[in-house]
Amino acid sequence: CFISLRTFTRQGTCLFRPQFGILCRHAVPMGTTANEEMNTFWAKNNKLNRPMSPHLTIYKWSMPMMMSITHRGTGVGLSGGISAFALLALVLPGNYPYYLDLIHSLSVGPALLSLAKFGIAFPVSYHTLNGIRHLFWDSGKGFKIPEVYRSGYVVIVLSILTSIAAIAYM
Amino acid sequence: MAAIVRISSVCHRGVKPLFYRSSLLSRTLVAQQKDQDCPYPLTARIHGSSSLYAGSVSKAASLHWTGERVVSVLLLAMGPAAYYFPGPAVDYSLAAALTLHGHWGIGQVLTDYVHGEPKIKMVNAGLFLLSTVTFAGLCYFNYNDVGICKAVALLWSK
Repeated sequence: CFISLRTFTRQGTCLFRPQFGILCRHAVPMGTTANEEMNTFWAKNNKLNRPMSPHLTIYKWSMPMMMSITHRGTGVGLSGGISAFALLALVLPGNYPYYLDLIHSLSVGPALLSLAKFGIAFPVSYHTLNGIRHLFWDSGKGFKIPEVYRSGYVVIVLSILTSIAAIAYM
Repeated sequence: MAAIVRISSVCHRGVKPLFYRSSLLSRTLVAQQKDQDCPYPLTARIHGSSSLYAGSVSKAASLHWTGERVVSVLLLAMGPAAYYFPGPAVDYSLAAALTLHGHWGIGQVLTDYVHGEPKIKMVNAGLFLLSTVTFAGLCYFNYNDVGICKAVALLWSK
C-alpha cells in the first residue's frame, strides 16, 4: 500500500479531498521505477554506513501489528515445515507409515500429543483465517480502524476454537 | 478515458465549479463522484488511461499480485476438497498450490528484508531451488508413498 502511494506521487498524480475520490495528473511523468529508487536509497545509506533509526523497539505495538507479523511468522513456519517434509521424503529410506509408527512407539502421552497437534493446527488455522481477512482487504473492504480490530479479534477467537475442535473431534 | 481536470477547479473549491464546466468529461466525473462508497472504480478508470506516460509500464507486478490472490483462493478451496474428496487429483493440486503459494509468500518476505542487487539475486535463486526441491519432494511423496491427504489423515488418527 505504501509502495503504490509512492508510485502515484512519482507519476505526478495528486489526490485532493479523498472523499471525492478524484485523481488528476500533472503533465510530467518521472523516469525511475519504485524499485530503482528503493535500491538507490539502500545503496546510498549503506555506503555512508548510516545506522538505522530505531523503529520496532520504540514504536508502541498494536494488535493489528502483532497479527500481521504472526501471519508472516506462521506463513514462513508452515512453508519451512512443508519444505522440510518434502526434503525428508526425498532423502529418508523408509515410507511414511513406517516413520509414523516410529514416532508413536516413543509413547509421548496424550497431553504432549495434543500439544503437538495444536502446534500444527493453530498455525494452519490462524494463517488461513487471517488470510481470508487479507482477501477481504484486497477487495477493498474492512479498512476502518474499528473494523480492523473487530475482524482481528474474530480471527484470533476462531483460530483457537477451530484448532481445539480439530484436536478434539478429528 | 483520459480525465484531465484543471487542478485549480478541483482544489479548495469543492465540487460546485465542476458542475459549471461545459466539458462532458467532468460531468462523468461528477456523476461518479456521488458514489462515495466506491471511489475505487473511479480512480481505477482514470489511472487506466496511459495518455500521459512517456513510455509503457509493464503489467508484470500487477499480474503477479492478481496471480497471488488467485492461488490463495484456490488453496482455500482445496481444504474442503481434501477433506471430502481425498485422492491423487487433490494430492497433486495441493502439492502445486502449496508450493506456489509458499514460493510467492517467501518471495515477498525476501523482497521486504533483503536489499542490494547481488544479495537479492542470490536469495531469490536459493528460494527457487528450495521451491523446486519442495515440489519434487511432494510429487515424489504423492507417487511413491501414501499421498498428502492420506498422510494428514494418518497423522491425525493417532
